[in-house]
Amino acid sequence: MSDLINLSLTDQILGLTDRSFSSKEITEAYLSEIKKKKSLNCFISIFEEECKENALIADENIIKNKARPLEGIPIAHKDIFCIKDKKTTCGSKMLSNFVSPYSSEVFTKLDDAGAITLGKTNMDEFAMGSSNETSFYGNVLNPINEKLSPGGSSGGSAAAVRANLCSFATATDTGGSIRQPASFCGVTGIKPTYGRVSRWGMIAFASSLDQAGIIAKNAKDAAIALKYMSGFDQKDSTSLNEEVKDFQKEVDANQDHVIGIPKELIENIKNDQVRDSFNNSISILEKDGAKIEEINLPHIEYSLPAYYVIAPAECSANLARYDGIRFGHRSNSVSSLEDLYVNSRTEGFGKEVKNRIFIGTFCLSAGYYDAFYNKALKIRNLIKNDFDEAFKKVSSIAMPTCSNSSFELGSISDPVEMYEQDIYTIPANLAGLPAISIPSGTANDMPIGLQLIGNYLDEGRILNLANKFQKLTDFHEFK
Amino acid sequence: MKITEQDLKNISLLSKIKIDEETSDSLTKDLESILTMVNKMDELDTSKINPLTHPIENTQTLREDIEKKDIEREKLQELSKEKDSGFYLTPKVIE
Amino acid sequence: MSSNNWQPVIGLEVHVQLATKTKLFSSSPIAFGAEPNTQASEIDLGLPGVLPVLNKEAISHALKFGCAINAEISEKVIFARKNYFYPDLPKGYQISQLDDPIVGKGSVEIKLGDKSKIIGVTRAHLEEDAGKSIHDLYSNNSAIDLNRAGTCLLEIVSEPDLSSAKEAVEYLKKIHSIVTFLGISDGDMSQGSMRCDANVSVKKPNDQELGTRTELKNINSFKFVEKAIIFEIDRQIKELEKGKEIIQETRLYDSKKNLTRSMRSKEEANDYRYFPEPDLIPIKISKDQINDVRNNLPELPEIMKERFMNSYELSDDNAELVTINKETASFFEEVLSYEVSAKNAVNWITGDLFALINKNDTNISESKVNPKHIAEIIQNIEDQKISGPSAKKLLEIVWNEGGEIQKLIQKEGLEQISNDDEIEKILDEVISENQKQFEQLKSGKDRLQGFFVGQVMKKTSGSASPQVVNKLLKDKLSK
Repeated sequence: MSDLINLSLTDQILGLTDRSFSSKEITEAYLSEIKKKKSLNCFISIFEEECKENALIADENIIKNKARPLEGIPIAHKDIFCIKDKKTTCGSKMLSNFVSPYSSEVFTKLDDAGAITLGKTNMDEFAMGSSNETSFYGNVLNPINEKLSPGGSSGGSAAAVRANLCSFATATDTGGSIRQPASFCGVTGIKPTYGRVSRWGMIAFASSLDQAGIIAKNAKDAAIALKYMSGFDQKDSTSLNEEVKDFQKEVDANQDHVIGIPKELIENIKNDQVRDSFNNSISILEKDGAKIEEINLPHIEYSLPAYYVIAPAECSANLARYDGIRFGHRSNSVSSLEDLYVNSRTEGFGKEVKNRIFIGTFCLSAGYYDAFYNKALKIRNLIKNDFDEAFKKVSSIAMPTCSNSSFELGSISDPVEMYEQDIYTIPANLAGLPAISIPSGTANDMPIGLQLIGNYLDEGRILNLANKFQKLTDFHEFK
Repeated sequence: MKITEQDLKNISLLSKIKIDEETSDSLTKDLESILTMVNKMDELDTSKINPLTHPIENTQTLREDIEKKDIEREKLQELSKEKDSGFYLTPKVIE
Repeated sequence: MSSNNWQPVIGLEVHVQLATKTKLFSSSPIAFGAEPNTQASEIDLGLPGVLPVLNKEAISHALKFGCAINAEISEKVIFARKNYFYPDLPKGYQISQLDDPIVGKGSVEIKLGDKSKIIGVTRAHLEEDAGKSIHDLYSNNSAIDLNRAGTCLLEIVSEPDLSSAKEAVEYLKKIHSIVTFLGISDGDMSQGSMRCDANVSVKKPNDQELGTRTELKNINSFKFVEKAIIFEIDRQIKELEKGKEIIQETRLYDSKKNLTRSMRSKEEANDYRYFPEPDLIPIKISKDQINDVRNNLPELPEIMKERFMNSYELSDDNAELVTINKETASFFEEVLSYEVSAKNAVNWITGDLFALINKNDTNISESKVNPKHIAEIIQNIEDQKISGPSAKKLLEIVWNEGGEIQKLIQKEGLEQISNDDEIEKILDEVISENQKQFEQLKSGKDRLQGFFVGQVMKKTSGSASPQVVNKLLKDKLSK
């Protein structure tokens, strides 16, 4: 039974299809494992009864040959995706009682494909954080070493996949919140092109940067899950009306690769193990036939400051709706309208969220708009141009996911030091490009990740290259 | 970059979040630290560059002007603590 | 009352609610008078995870307006967030337009007696409306109704080209007539589908700079626009002549007391922190699209007026009156479809019908009297079947009760007696009862002619044809 939870998504689909095991068995196996590993705190809600019911229905569908693509596969959703009539908390006290009257498109698509939702995974509050230490529901622990952070903001999803609590989990990435936790937990995480996956029902942090994606055991699994999540949605004006290629086919296809390496960036990597592992990864791919080219991303070091203006600015506006009037936390000490606003918001939000609202408000305020917000948007343009130039020569760009492996929970208190966790992941968000992180070695005995960035709409290519790497190495295997 | 007490007052007022005396010092420190990092942007001359709001602009979604009459007020108002006769209630506002 | 040559400088901001079926960014219905919050969907309530999608028809309406005032049209529709907190603004920001209004500089012409004046329009932009806060329903609470939240508004801003309250009213009427003729709004000020704020200042003719202006709000009829502005100009002049300064502020018009008073300031000069709306991709507007709109504009009031003057030989004044709004113009043309003379149609509509409308404080669309009624009344007069006074009586009956003209003429006994013999019989009766006056009339007291006609009319309850009475009387006098 415990073997079932070790299976990849691909193998689970095969196993269910050829009746080697049932959805009931695998669902119960997961529910049992989730209980066993409760201390990791990966889940905020678990839908035990519904899962069991849905598993029975799934098994019937399989027997009747009415199986949908992900029929009976138990999965988890980051608690940022609304599910109708279920709580969606976004890791915050502000939404601790919020039962959504409608479902996110991400949930609907995967549900329609037959997947069974085990529960909602823990996350940094309102997706703001890089360590899963800001959740109202407590820290998530890294399954490999429970003293360490699983990364964030999708810490719960990454840890759940690593701990074999689901074969894949949905997650979101605004500045690296899929890729960085994937790197810290030694799993695969992909953020697609901005607009590839609908944001309808996905609680907003920074609208022009947020994207939904997948954390899974390997690239092939991620390709399958991403395929069923993607596609144009009328309800989201930023959703791309573009054909979604069959990622499942592309991941294994015969493709040539020209990999761009930003030389200066690599030379400046401080951690020897990270740098060596990166260089090692590149030679593996080169030996396999990929061409390697040097590229230049001259403005990349300005991504971090630009991001930490744009994201807080957008978040300060996106979080203005939380006032306790129509939904959400409402303070009990309310003797005036001003009290209602100030007390509900002060009580409802955690420290990191407040800090980001403050920064965002400041950067947009009278007199500062040009120097901060407008300037950041211009830098965004420069960074996008850098990538556009590079992609004239190469088909993917490689760099480490993070500058180091995971750190001890509670060890980082300086906000800037925490923000610097995202130094390599942020550029892809600013430009809206697809990017994937795959395990590529260790530093201090903890996993580190290789990041591959693709051109617009080219998820298939980076999945393909990631899969190639995973065929040639075993870093992604759970040991 | 320095954050003054007036700046804190202003931010607090605009964002409707209290900044109490105990935390204002550490908050000032944090904000200054972040803004110092952000000020790195000044190293670049962007006078001839246009701002980029959306990473991708080729999608043009418009909606047909057709009514959807599926609003369930009662269900939506289950989310609110203070309501009466279909209204949402707040403390009295004097204009 | 001009005091020492102070020159008023007035600009109007008119908010027009567009006649679409759904809101600007959601598919919620917008019919007036619905139960509170029954037209507020999850999008309108600003629930977590919702997204705006732009209403196509709203763009079309805005383009029509832009073409009608010969304005520059923007190449892209770009929205911005205007951030502030108020319970009737669910998201904590309003989606509006800042630097890129869909309609740029244009102009309208207003008539003042014989003269005409061009008033510049600075811009017109699309934005969503806020909901309603009602403060007098509960003793300790304000009641929030979000039915109106999200409705399509076109905000039309004039240049400060208006120099008097009268000009302001004419401008407002012109805007009203344009939007109603275009069919983009019902312009009903009493229901709030057209709202007007006035910016008022005064200066001396030699002053280069404009004076400090105040913004007047809460003006919901043409009459109040004039009164509020007159009061404010007067107030400002009085203050300045006392040596005081005008405070830049918002003032509410109190229609009961006919004065403006300072609004208890909510927040001094709110910092709205505008920034481009990240959830909406700019919509391109092609030159073809604009030309298409321009070439298919409904007939505008000035054009229609010209046409009426040419085709129906109406005077300028009459043509102006009958094109005062679309409904009246349609009514007029429908009356003409029954082949009565334009002159008579105009007289009946702008005379007696307008009188009834004004007396009852309603409008032509609410009238029980329809074009067929007017046409038939005119026909009956032309055929001498009823007299003028009878016709007026008939009109009032139809106004109050409706009905068919022919049936009512019979029922009320309004048939005009044109039969010479019948009338002569009655005339003879009158003469015999008033022998003395008849002798006086015979001997030259001409004004007694009216007396005899009047007496015959009295005896016949107004149904004798006055022309016939006069003719017969003259005959008798000459005998």
